Amino acid sequence: MESERGESLPSSSNPVEVVNSIRERTIAENSMVVLLQGLHGEVTTVDLRNESTARGRVVNVDAFMNIRLEEVVYRDRRGRLTQLQDMFITGRNVRYVHIPDHMDIMKTIQSQLAKIHRVRNFASQGGGRKEFKKTKRPLPLLL
Amino acid sequence: MVVLKNLHPPTEGVRLEQAETTAVMDGQRLGCGTLFVAETRLSWFDGSGMGFSLEYPTIGLHAISRDVSAFPQEHLYVMVNGKLSDENEAEMAEKAADDDGDDGSGSDGGDDEEGVITEIRFVPSDKASLESMFSAMCECQALHPDPEDEDSDNDFEGEEYDVEEAEHGHVNIPTFYTCDEGLSSLTQEGQATLERLEGMLAESVAQQYHMAGVRTGETKPEFEDGMEVDAEATEAGQFEDADVDH
Repeated sequence: MESERGESLPSSSNPVEVVNSIRERTIAENSMVVLLQGLHGEVTTVDLRNESTARGRVVNVDAFMNIRLEEVVYRDRRGRLTQLQDMFITGRNVRYVHIPDHMDIMKTIQSQLAKIHRVRNFASQGGGRKEFKKTKRPLPLLL
Repeated sequence: MVVLKNLHPPTEGVRLEQAETTAVMDGQRLGCGTLFVAETRLSWFDGSGMGFSLEYPTIGLHAISRDVSAFPQEHLYVMVNGKLSDENEAEMAEKAADDDGDDGSGSDGGDDEEGVITEIRFVPSDKASLESMFSAMCECQALHPDPEDEDSDNDFEGEEYDVEEAEHGHVNIPTFYTCDEGLSSLTQEGQATLERLEGMLAESVAQQYHMAGVRTGETKPEFEDGMEVDAEATEAGQFEDADVDH
């Protein structure tokens, strides 16, 4: 059930990221969602609040804990299994996200935070049109 | 019977309109109609203008199903928390009593435990449109974050600073303060935020030089609440009889 993503298909995470990116980075930076965002590409299980589970590869987790999975095996409350190609789980419905055993949680959080800071510093330089020396830290975007 | 209402299709913010789409609700075919994926709500209308709409906060998940063993046709699966409306509950319960629900519908009417759900399947005649239907729903769903989120830290201080807007709006005014100018323009709130963010940045940078997960440096003040375990005071085998679940 491998799906070939054609180049013409917009990644559903891109438009949302552009609109909410500043706010989402702040939310992510201040919560454990930043750990979940380090799960991109990992296969894991998500337990939903209604006692069902979904196991698949993490495509994206946004700041609101909405989770995109692909190649999913979904087990409903009664234990029935279904295969689903792509799945979007609303953040509110997530009870647990299993962290794969092989993942180093501290390192994942640190590298995710580092990514956020790099993006913020890059953005605040106006995409290259303004320059700041490294010692002079530009104003964080939220002030 | 599911009661359909005579509603109007949305006119604004329609991300996707998919005609020739059959709707199946908890195993019951409602007929062929048009699906509207709009920013405010998801709705579906049959040929006679009757239909239903779903609010995004009630949608638990949506997915593309290509598993014909679960349901004979490829479709967009939508799981809704709760039942569609109060007047439907009686019908749903009745239907659940009669219906085995063994065609993969999983009707839950009559279930008293938390998480009563409605399963809706949108079956387009054009299977190639499933990806765009799914994507459109993802985009619209993301526009409706959970307002009841307990994590109130989502409120951040200060104004959201839109880099593009500032540059387009003010050509002659410098878009960014230099460090010195900026610091003197900070409000008290801004100063506090700056200190907090700098502290977090320093922390995350400093910890890069420690082994992951192992605190090798000074203890942080926030942990000195008298609850620290003194490692030297434990005896060998002290915890062997503890009942630990891993």
